[in-house]
Amino acid sequence: MDLRGFAIEHGLRPDTWPLFANPNVWGFFFEGLRETVAIAAVAAVLSFAVALVFALGRLSRRWWLRWPSVFYIETIRALPVLLLIVYFGIKGTALFRPIFGPDFDLPRFWAGVLGLTMYTSAVLAEIIRAGVLSLPRGQTEASRALGLSQLQAMRHVILPQALRLMVPAMMAQLTTVIKDTSLVGTIGVFELLRQGRTIYTQFFNPIEVLTIVALIYFVICFALSQASRRFELGRAPRAVRVAIRDIELRDQAA
Amino acid sequence: MIAFQFPDLFFGGLWLTIQISVLGLAGALVIGTAVALLRVSPTALLRWVGGAYVEFFRNTPLVVQLFFLFLGLPLIGIRFSTDTFENNFRAAFIGMGLYHAAYVAEVVRGGLLGVERGQIEAARSLGLSYPQMLRFVQLPQTFRSVVPPLGNIAIALVKNTALASTIGVAELLSAAEIVESRTFRAEESYLAATFLFLVLTLPLGFVVNTLERRMVIAR
Repeated sequence: MDLRGFAIEHGLRPDTWPLFANPNVWGFFFEGLRETVAIAAVAAVLSFAVALVFALGRLSRRWWLRWPSVFYIETIRALPVLLLIVYFGIKGTALFRPIFGPDFDLPRFWAGVLGLTMYTSAVLAEIIRAGVLSLPRGQTEASRALGLSQLQAMRHVILPQALRLMVPAMMAQLTTVIKDTSLVGTIGVFELLRQGRTIYTQFFNPIEVLTIVALIYFVICFALSQASRRFELGRAPRAVRVAIRDIELRDQAA
Repeated sequence: MIAFQFPDLFFGGLWLTIQISVLGLAGALVIGTAVALLRVSPTALLRWVGGAYVEFFRNTPLVVQLFFLFLGLPLIGIRFSTDTFENNFRAAFIGMGLYHAAYVAEVVRGGLLGVERGQIEAARSLGLSYPQMLRFVQLPQTFRSVVPPLGNIAIALVKNTALASTIGVAELLSAAEIVESRTFRAEESYLAATFLFLVLTLPLGFVVNTLERRMVIAR
């Protein structure tokens, strides 16, 4: 049987694989991977900071802090992350011109980071809030009775415990951020998938390229999700685990 | 509102989004339940296959999977339709179904494992075959506990239909993009799309939250 003919007929074109023996192709993938990791890292760090603010805002007893936080979190969680990314890709520059002057041009990298951060921060805020709510009320009451202010109790007693409890959930969210970086290619950031697209539009080999790209994402995300399972402390009460699972299902499946 | 100036794009897009969501969800439920059954099967090989499915689809980006269905498969002679528009549309909901099936599988598996071991053994020792036991004992009890989490997956799916815009399906987000490129009224276009997405996801979220609260009380 003519194996080569069979392979070509079924689209497994053997002549497109030798391309990947060329180190330049891998260099090209690597550049994309670097961009992917950079965006994910920056977005994750910024998201965490923004999420803390909104989580505390939503937990606050003052309505003028609580209502805007609820609005931010619930609206953004109900939107596709791609919509935010595309919006900032198109309008990001115009949005920041009043602040940074008429010559300002928002780099695409930062437009992507902005969209990702907005979405991820809303999700992380919910995770942090679930962590805080999981702690027994007695903790706050005891801290207050010992003379700590509400803010001090939060800062020194509640948050450290809540955040530690939520480490696995936040790591799981990190895998989502990495998967979501594949969307910023649509606004012209040259991340991993976008680099792959450049290759296959040149060489007409989307099957090979997409398989390699998928495997790279898989290795990173699988390793991260396995690691997050390691950190599972198993101390979280059942109600919290259910809350976290639901947040993850609604928002992690991106 | 700009949506009424371009009703074909916005409301047509909304309709496509709804279609992709419904078809994708149906597919995800069927495939997901099948994969969950693999994952709790008594045969080690089947469990491994189920696990591999879940890990692969959950740990790679949905866009990559969609591109594969839309660009890769036609190269090996697999087309969902001869009509390009129809092909893209089918690739979109098939991709949605395959991807979210991995999440459905995990939820259903959790539900199946939640059924007491003793019941399964009792059913088996009463002479029910494994499929009969699944059908009459294990699956019916699973159904109740999985409804709220499946609702959450449905919300995720509706949001993720936006990714179909990357493979040339004229759903809501593409509607906004097209209108923006024609009119340069970005704020209005994206606000309209935002609003229409919220119309879909917020009520769904409300229903799921209510169901969840009911279940907690019932427990």
